[in-house]
Amino acid sequence: MSVDGEQGGGEDGDRVRVAEFALGLLPAQEHEALARRLATEPALARELALWRRRFSGLDSEFAEVTPPAGVLERVEARVFPQPAARSSGLWNSLGFWRGLAATCFALAIVAGGFALAPRPPLTGQELVAALEAEGSNIKFVAFYDEAAGMVRIAALSGDAAPNKDFELWAIHGTSPPVSMGVIPVGSKSDIAVPAAMRPGFVAGTVLAVTLEPKGGSPSGAPTGPVVAKGATTAI
Amino acid sequence: MSQSTGEIADLIARTALRDRIAFRELYRRTSAKLFGVTLRILGDRAEAEEALQEVYVKIWQRADRYAAGGYSPISWLVAIARNHALDMLRARRPFAEDIEQAIEIADLGPDPERAAVEADERARIDACLGELEGDRAEAVRGAYLDGFSYEELAARHKVPLNTMRTWLRRSLIKLRECLSA
Repeated sequence: MSVDGEQGGGEDGDRVRVAEFALGLLPAQEHEALARRLATEPALARELALWRRRFSGLDSEFAEVTPPAGVLERVEARVFPQPAARSSGLWNSLGFWRGLAATCFALAIVAGGFALAPRPPLTGQELVAALEAEGSNIKFVAFYDEAAGMVRIAALSGDAAPNKDFELWAIHGTSPPVSMGVIPVGSKSDIAVPAAMRPGFVAGTVLAVTLEPKGGSPSGAPTGPVVAKGATTAI
Repeated sequence: MSQSTGEIADLIARTALRDRIAFRELYRRTSAKLFGVTLRILGDRAEAEEALQEVYVKIWQRADRYAAGGYSPISWLVAIARNHALDMLRARRPFAEDIEQAIEIADLGPDPERAAVEADERARIDACLGELEGDRAEAVRGAYLDGFSYEELAARHKVPLNTMRTWLRRSLIKLRECLSA
């Protein structure tokens, strides 16, 4: 691919190739070769990000065209799990959740934290959730004790990110996520659930952890990527 | 558009949390834009509709990869639609290739005002394209907005293929200087 001088090596050559990559102009082999380099060369990746951002200035020229009806329904049929399909597997096994809850307690005891001491008689429900996400090494286990009005959450794995905080969210049904505050990594924490929120905590409530600016989301709604999430199950 | 930018970012974040209502709202607010993208690049309504469906499946699956950086949320969505449409075009061309990783967009760090960024990028690319000769700026726009290949651009501008390559590469070098000034 050296038909002319412009495409020689050197910084300009690379820059031009990255711009061609961003535009989608490179032939297959070159495109793939550059994709491999982009994965390992941060300077090239930055160059690509720059071109993408600059070209995105043209995005307003794409005219809006109302799509035909029915597309959303077909998308939803594909991405929303059907109720009938969620009955089997480890994830839905009560034994698994009991085991997980036991693990959660064992961890808590080892950490010397959760007062094992006289637990009040069981007056409320208890929910447990394992929080994880594809592509993330961060895992939490969370336990909701209705009687105590607490969510107890422990990090099982994962590292803190510099200048970022993890924020916990509760999602009840289809309502917007409700922040439960910033949570530490590498230790457990007890989070008091405001009385007004407690009735919303039922099996199926989803707990999620997002990466947010230091101190938590400035807007009150999640802004960063989801690093772990899971639905609660009654135990 | 810029006023709703923050709202679109919130809808993407809520979609990442598997909030179906937010996803529907995101579709309602953005599908006309993304259909405009797939239709312009693919030039066929049936194909554009099929592409749009795939694009929203990807958005549902990848919403958690949207990092609030110096990149507007609409541009992030447009990039998914544009890359998917280009992918379909490539599949038709002699050499199929995988541009899957083209969807990854680097987080550019702490976010400035997203809406301001949007307007800013528009003004900047317009100014810099304005410094190129008219037909060369048109070629760059044709590659980005219509997904034209070098062959298609050469045919449209009635110049030999190598001339088009040279034009475009020189234009990209000039553009880069102007854009990073």
